[in-house]
Amino acid sequence: MNDQWTDRLSEYVDDELANGERTALEAHLATCAACRATVEDLRKVVARARALDDSAPKANLWPGVAKRIGAGKVVDIRSRRFSFNVPQLIAASIALMLLSGGGAWLALKPPQIASDGPFTPAPSQGQLQATWTGKTDAAIADLQNVFDRNKSRLDTSTVRVVQQAFTTIDRAIAEARTALQADPSDAYLNLHLADTMRRKLELLRRVNALATAQS
Amino acid sequence: MNDKVLEDTLAADSIGADAALAASGDASAFERLYRTHVNRIHSLVRRMLDADEADDLTQDVFVRAWEKLSTFRGESAFGTWLHRLAVNVVLGRRKTLGVERGRFQTGEDPLEGVSAKRHTPELSMDFEEALANLPDGARQVFVLHDVEGYRHEEIGRMLGIVPGTSKSQLHHARMALRRYLDR
Repeated sequence: MNDQWTDRLSEYVDDELANGERTALEAHLATCAACRATVEDLRKVVARARALDDSAPKANLWPGVAKRIGAGKVVDIRSRRFSFNVPQLIAASIALMLLSGGGAWLALKPPQIASDGPFTPAPSQGQLQATWTGKTDAAIADLQNVFDRNKSRLDTSTVRVVQQAFTTIDRAIAEARTALQADPSDAYLNLHLADTMRRKLELLRRVNALATAQS
Repeated sequence: MNDKVLEDTLAADSIGADAALAASGDASAFERLYRTHVNRIHSLVRRMLDADEADDLTQDVFVRAWEKLSTFRGESAFGTWLHRLAVNVVLGRRKTLGVERGRFQTGEDPLEGVSAKRHTPELSMDFEEALANLPDGARQVFVLHDVEGYRHEEIGRMLGIVPGTSKSQLHHARMALRRYLDR
């Protein structure tokens, strides 16, 4: 097989031929079994390439990387030039929460809210200028519905403890939302709200998993 | 929001969070990013260059990523950003080695190195091995196009060749590799 179309078959497979060329090649394929077989093979090669699995290196390369970047040493963050936008700061708070329950972040920057004052009901979502909460609100609502359906599977004392935790978290969320009404762009308040909402998400996920395991 | 979407969202949030933390100097967060992405980066490097260079180059990619994290603005996924950086490191290494000399001659026979081993049963190769035995130019175009999904115009800019050469190299690579499909 070595006709005028042989070197164009990959372009045909990739749908990169002009209409006239495609029509002519398809007419050729109708009469050339060898080219038809090659097209089939080329399609299999493409599919095989897309299905290649990634594999781990045989050696652990992290120690070499860690040594070169100075991991383990105290890093002076002032020496690193960086800037965050609010979503990145929110993301950072999530990781901090996952690592330390949020305590580390709270120690670094107390939220600018009055924690001693009377409890203020949460404002409606539409009042907030910080719009990033919508997706997390939806996730919390979904998980809350699951919890409400399944909580009867848990013993009473567990449900009571969980409800107390929800009350505390909801209060913190409401306080953060109220504070954000005054300053919607405050990065630290956004961080605090994201951190607190993430706590509720994690708690809901854990308790739902526990309820499911009881079934 | 179903569980899968929720899990994906949480995973993406976690990676984005680690990227932000690593940019601030948190090596533990960077190690988590390394653990998440090392297999993909190592596989890319191994396929683009020789296997015995893959470990060193993979380390270079992550060191470069650490140095460049301040430029990651979050417009794209961290994995996409890291992958593009890895391709640049590989291409930089390729230039350093001077392997580009003569690698994109259209008269080159990419089948030669592969077919020589195929006829000996004990040396018969699987698809990945056959890929590794392609000449550098055909191999890199094949990996970038068929494995990684880049377009010929992008590959042309990366490798300093015209799109037509990229198409030609890709076709030669595919024709060589079709003999190593799992039948």
